[in-house]
Amino acid sequence: MKLLRIIPERCTGCMRCELACSYVQTGAFQPARSVIRVSPFETHTSFAPYTCTQCAEGWCMTACPVDAITISPVGAKVVLDDQCVGCKLCTIACPYGTIFYNPQTQKAFKCNLCDGDPACAKACPTFAIEYVEAEPADWLEAFAAGRSSRHLEAASAGAEAR
Amino acid sequence: MATRHVIVGGGTAGLNAVQTIREHERGESEIVLVSAERPYSRMVLPYYLGRSIAESHVFTATPARLAQLQVQAHIGRRATSLDTAANRLTLDDGTVIEYDDLLIATGSSPVRAPVPGADGPGVHSFWTLEQARGVVAQIREGGHVVLVGAGFIAFTILNAIRALRARLTILEIAPQILPRMIDGTGAGIVEGWLRRHEVAIRTGAALTTIEEEHGRRRLRFREGEDLLADVVIMATGIRTNLEWLNGSGVHVRRGILVDDHLRSNVPNVYAAGDVAEGRDLVTGETAVHAIEPTAMEHGRVVGANMAGRNVGYRGSLLMNIVEVCHLDIASLGAWDDPTAEAFALARPDRWAYRKLLWRGDRLVGAMILGMANDIWTTNDVGMLKGLVQTGNGLGAWKGHLCRNLFGIKQAFIASGTTARLLPETLLGQPSVAPGQVL
Repeated sequence: MKLLRIIPERCTGCMRCELACSYVQTGAFQPARSVIRVSPFETHTSFAPYTCTQCAEGWCMTACPVDAITISPVGAKVVLDDQCVGCKLCTIACPYGTIFYNPQTQKAFKCNLCDGDPACAKACPTFAIEYVEAEPADWLEAFAAGRSSRHLEAASAGAEAR
Repeated sequence: MATRHVIVGGGTAGLNAVQTIREHERGESEIVLVSAERPYSRMVLPYYLGRSIAESHVFTATPARLAQLQVQAHIGRRATSLDTAANRLTLDDGTVIEYDDLLIATGSSPVRAPVPGADGPGVHSFWTLEQARGVVAQIREGGHVVLVGAGFIAFTILNAIRALRARLTILEIAPQILPRMIDGTGAGIVEGWLRRHEVAIRTGAALTTIEEEHGRRRLRFREGEDLLADVVIMATGIRTNLEWLNGSGVHVRRGILVDDHLRSNVPNVYAAGDVAEGRDLVTGETAVHAIEPTAMEHGRVVGANMAGRNVGYRGSLLMNIVEVCHLDIASLGAWDDPTAEAFALARPDRWAYRKLLWRGDRLVGAMILGMANDIWTTNDVGMLKGLVQTGNGLGAWKGHLCRNLFGIKQAFIASGTTARLLPETLLGQPSVAPGQVL
């Protein structure tokens, strides 16, 4: 299936993906409601967008006590708003941390791949997010680990000095 | 002759087993379901109580769906005895059912505080749909509801009682609320939050009697003033429904002891959910995890194994999450292990608190509190679960997290936890969407 491939080396941290995602998902520009979230590394000199991998297990889907999460025609795990009661079980069951609760709607929400036309990929000016045929993968580990080591060493040296 | 699978119990564990058998066997086998009640989700009863959903929303399998799954359903019947030598199950109406393999998923029942008047009029449990209907019919705007017991179940119905504009008092015999879900520091913050939202709390409250008084209930205590209640709800614990197995030869400890395939000591008898004592993912010891996610996972593993697959189960992860008055409370794994290394940080100004528990550089448990609209404080609960579930060694990130308890996201991403999780599935294959089985 087509999914979101993240190429973190290309990310500039401009947050356009978060704005576009929240606008398409909620009708308002509110990064706090985005389901793709840009993480800073090395004290905000590197950035990486992180979102649902549409994993094979579908931990959110199997955890739902009222079958409110299903698989959409484009292969995304999606929340059915009229079924979701807002119990939050999916938010603790998802081990990737990519399904959230919206206090306004009192429903869970997550990446639905915008029904096959992901707004984040379209909004990214540097092609750090691509919507392509691919297997789910950990797109960020090598990038993030490489950009964390010096930061961690500096932090731990600082802690020991204190 | 077709294999006959008998499922005793129509709750989360039983229904997940039914669907998983059909997912793997299509229509080749017979499935017999024995359920005392029409199948529904206990998790969502609080939303029915608060009238945010209709009663029809609680049902998990309609008669039509059961027929579609080719299930012979004995609804309204209870199992009364099991003869494991003859592979025969007897029901309360005398029906005898022979089986090739059998799942015991009979769940739990609520236990009331052992005080005079606890079984009297106006005193309710909130566990079954029938009991929920009873409570729904009794709560009035402005009425005084007293919740006896401040555990997870009580907390799941707190918002609903407030939504019905009833006055609420919560009693707890222990020195703190939520004693089996959060520590004393966390409980102090939650108590402060609830008082601010006009919920009265009495901890260390030893109830002695409940008396009828002009249609209301007078609650007396060993110490302190009496309380007058319109409705009393007892949420004072549960016990597993296992008495009917006396003499069956099935080995019961705290629950039915099961192996990594969720088989009891009788090879063609499985157990799942609240009645099963299976492996705890974090400790490796056996434990009873009477929670929805464990019932679901147990049920699916049993269903696959009944269908001839060979699925081992790594163990269940204790986890609970509840929101009260827009404050999220969650704990998971070994959150209360006194032998684990613990780091905690409270931010009372933001009603935030978290505690991370470690063995070496692996996270083994966590507890978090925070306002639901404050994404900084609770939005990483799933990542915490992922770190505990994978047991991923965090190396230098551990030191970082002990100083920055809210920096989970970077540690999760940079430690390759996603890569460890991606190959993980419960049944060794991608999950099927609900309703897409048959």
